Amino acid sequence: MNGANNMSDVNNMTDVSDLNGTANSMNGEQEHIFYARDLNIYYGDHHAVADVNLDIYSKEITAFIGPSGCGKTSVLRCYNRMNDLIPIAKVEGTLEYKGLNLYGSQIDPVEVRRRIGMVFQKPNPFPKSIYENVAYGPKVCGMSRNRSELDDIVERSLKRAALWDEVKGRLKSSAFGLSGGQQQRLCIARAIAVDPDVLLMDEPCSSLDPIATTRIEELMDGLKNDYTIIIVTHNMQQAARISDKTAFFTTEENAETGMRTGMLIEFDIAEKIFSNPNDERTENYVTGRFG
Amino acid sequence: MEQELRTSFHEELDGIQSEVLKLAEDVILFIPKITTAFLEKDAETAQTLIDADEDLDRASIALDERCCQALALQQPMAKDLRFIVSAMSINNDIERSGDLAVNVAKATTRMKDAKLTPELEDIISKMSEQAVQLLKSAMVAYVKQEVELADELGKMDDVLDDLNYDCLKAGLNANTAGQIDLPTAVQVVLIGRYYERIGDHAVNIGERIHYMVTGEIAK
Repeated sequence: MNGANNMSDVNNMTDVSDLNGTANSMNGEQEHIFYARDLNIYYGDHHAVADVNLDIYSKEITAFIGPSGCGKTSVLRCYNRMNDLIPIAKVEGTLEYKGLNLYGSQIDPVEVRRRIGMVFQKPNPFPKSIYENVAYGPKVCGMSRNRSELDDIVERSLKRAALWDEVKGRLKSSAFGLSGGQQQRLCIARAIAVDPDVLLMDEPCSSLDPIATTRIEELMDGLKNDYTIIIVTHNMQQAARISDKTAFFTTEENAETGMRTGMLIEFDIAEKIFSNPNDERTENYVTGRFG
Repeated sequence: MEQELRTSFHEELDGIQSEVLKLAEDVILFIPKITTAFLEKDAETAQTLIDADEDLDRASIALDERCCQALALQQPMAKDLRFIVSAMSINNDIERSGDLAVNVAKATTRMKDAKLTPELEDIISKMSEQAVQLLKSAMVAYVKQEVELADELGKMDDVLDDLNYDCLKAGLNANTAGQIDLPTAVQVVLIGRYYERIGDHAVNIGERIHYMVTGEIAK
């Protein structure tokens, strides 16, 4: 695999239940859920992202911002090993989830993706009913013993995704009959139905209108009480509105190869990034001064 | 190769800065004219200057609206955000300084027959000069984004505070000595206070400049 062989294994880890480990360090009162050190991502010969050192904290919204090609989505996809699905992708460095090496040889990527769910740019409901979309994951994971329990999970997930009131009368209808914003909330309901710790969101509002966007943002604000959320967004105002912490990535060109490599420039509380960032490159990006 | 973006927005920021400077310049020119009218008991000129304050108020409101528009339409971040927020605050301090100068002009129209002692006239004259100097320095710090100069305004204001105390003492002494009547003494003490408040606004402007440049709120 891309990456697993390059990462140090965690000793004494025998099965996926070890993913229940606890955060390995604290920052004041806060515990970090992800710990990345010298994280490098390659696509074939292309060094896509270099030397990312980043702690993601529990029960917070962290936004990744930066210009196209800066590596923010590549880094996001490392957190639930989505990069495994790209044959030429290679991940090096340390990436820990609750103190465990996410790329350890005995870690099951499927279990990783259950605990660390993902919502994509475009709503991608299954070609099934609204009910089946939400019930699919819990059924596959064996989370319910009978229909009644499954009904409860579906209702609870749709309520958490602020969609229940809009769909409770048509759970058997096709998910494709929902609006774009409703479909995206359905995808969020589907992601949280399997009871994850973390939600990764890759530009979840980029195809939605402002009202649907506001609903998703409101939803995220409520969800952060129960989940850790990492969102990639091109919308700086959105990052400023919703994130507790913001990471700014950019790219720099390699003088020899002419290839561009993404790097993390600054990571801080959102208020600091958007009102008084430390790095001039962040300042230039958030003020839209250069591009 | 990086290319500068949002050039029209940055031109708008330059425009806002020019408006701040223009308003400040008007108030800086306003203050000595009013002081002269007061010392020369020129009620007619004082009234003209009172009327002219409406222009300052209109300019200040227009500047505020321009800043609001830039916030709403451009959604500035980081130093651009601090720049506009600071311009709004500085605008308010300049406009209030103009109002305080107008208070002196209004006193001039009420004190047509009052005669001050040479000492009081000298103190008022010095207070006016110092208030103008503070505003001028504040604007130099603003346009050059000089945090050190902005931070020094507090010390410069101490001179004005001392003069205010001198004004209070001289006014009361002159009344005790029978040189000026009680209403005149009260009015003179209030006038000293108006100049002293202009100094406070200049200090506020300095604090805003500190924030605008560094992102830290100085107190």
